[in-house]
Amino acid sequence: MKKEHVLYFHKNIAVLSRRDRVFLNNPVLIRGIGLAPIVVAATTLNNALVLAVAVILMLTPTRILSAILAKRVKTKYRVLVYALTAGVLYIAVSFILEQIFGLNQLKLLGLYLPLLIVEPLIIKRYVQPKPEKIKAALYKGTVTTLGFLLVLFLVAALREFLAYGTLYGFEIINFQPLPFAKMVAGGFIIVGLVAALWNFLINLFKKYINMEAKKYL
Amino acid sequence: MMDSFLLVLKDGVLSFFLYAVIAVFAQNAIFTRALGVSRLIKLVDDPTMDTLIFSGLLAVIQVISCSLGYFINDFLSARIISLRFFVRPTILLLCTIVAFFVVYVGIMLYSKKFKSKTAHNILKVLPMATFNCCVLGTLLITVTQNYDLLETVSFAIGSSVGYFMAVLLVTEGQRTLKNRNIPQSFKGLPANLIYIGILALAIYGFTGNIPVF
Repeated sequence: MKKEHVLYFHKNIAVLSRRDRVFLNNPVLIRGIGLAPIVVAATTLNNALVLAVAVILMLTPTRILSAILAKRVKTKYRVLVYALTAGVLYIAVSFILEQIFGLNQLKLLGLYLPLLIVEPLIIKRYVQPKPEKIKAALYKGTVTTLGFLLVLFLVAALREFLAYGTLYGFEIINFQPLPFAKMVAGGFIIVGLVAALWNFLINLFKKYINMEAKKYL
Repeated sequence: MMDSFLLVLKDGVLSFFLYAVIAVFAQNAIFTRALGVSRLIKLVDDPTMDTLIFSGLLAVIQVISCSLGYFINDFLSARIISLRFFVRPTILLLCTIVAFFVVYVGIMLYSKKFKSKTAHNILKVLPMATFNCCVLGTLLITVTQNYDLLETVSFAIGSSVGYFMAVLLVTEGQRTLKNRNIPQSFKGLPANLIYIGILALAIYGFTGNIPVF
């Protein structure tokens, strides 16, 4: 890694650990939000694709619209703005998803598509006392979506391969290495193992940055 | 006449307990459906949050919103069948909002009458106990499975009892999971998730694997 990159990371690691919502402060694997759809519904890449489109269409728009609407609302009622915005958006999003994937595909996700309305990943911003600025809502919504999608596809690919021996429906091996991966218990354990691996990589990265920075300082 | 009344009463009581027990164990919100698991992870890590207050509010909100959901679903089934899939979740969300205001007004009246400080703490927890996946998930289950009113109420109570039990189990597990021998990478969220996964497997041991969607 280049000297300026190392020094940048070394200087800003504490801030990045809070702000980087893709790797260092991933919403799912570090902050533990958005777990329900990943643990239960992300058993195949096909399901993950539907969830991904739904989250793309709901997360950032809900944050932006709520940021606009919540400006003049008291903090204690802000949760209503976020939940109602997500609820109204869900109607439009489910129509769009039906056009893209068809109703049967959406029904495969069961509860976990409508549950996005109250998913902390989408509405959790209401807990902050200050209303969010629109630019911040756009930026944070986009990076949170990226962080979520990364884990969603990673876990879905892993579970589909382990449970069915396929990837996006294409056979990779002709047996099922771990059928348990498609169960909810399997989902918890696999997401837990991925989170541990993620923590390990973050610790490794921080150690590497510290060691490299010592050479230059 | 009396005998038939007693028989109906007995059936009602049995049905009530059966659905409550199903919601606590066989269809536990956390272990079989992961409903509200993100909130649970925060709850066990937050020493300022009272689990009993949270679960109590969850139970009240679920009973009110599920009962409303039962009547609304009847109305929806009769009128807007083709659009039901798209609008039902939002309409059920409105039921939770009504439940939110009912509980909010109740707490405000209580705090004015008794000038209690706990009312302030309860109000702080109320939004988290209302707008979470466990409440909307339970509502969606009772509505899509076409439970009658008694089954709906008992399932709602059982679901919140099951959630409370899950919080207690995970909080108890935290003590062991803070052990020094646990590798650094596994500490915190990963250990909690694996622990919940193992508990979910234990539930399968009793009930078998129930497809959840």
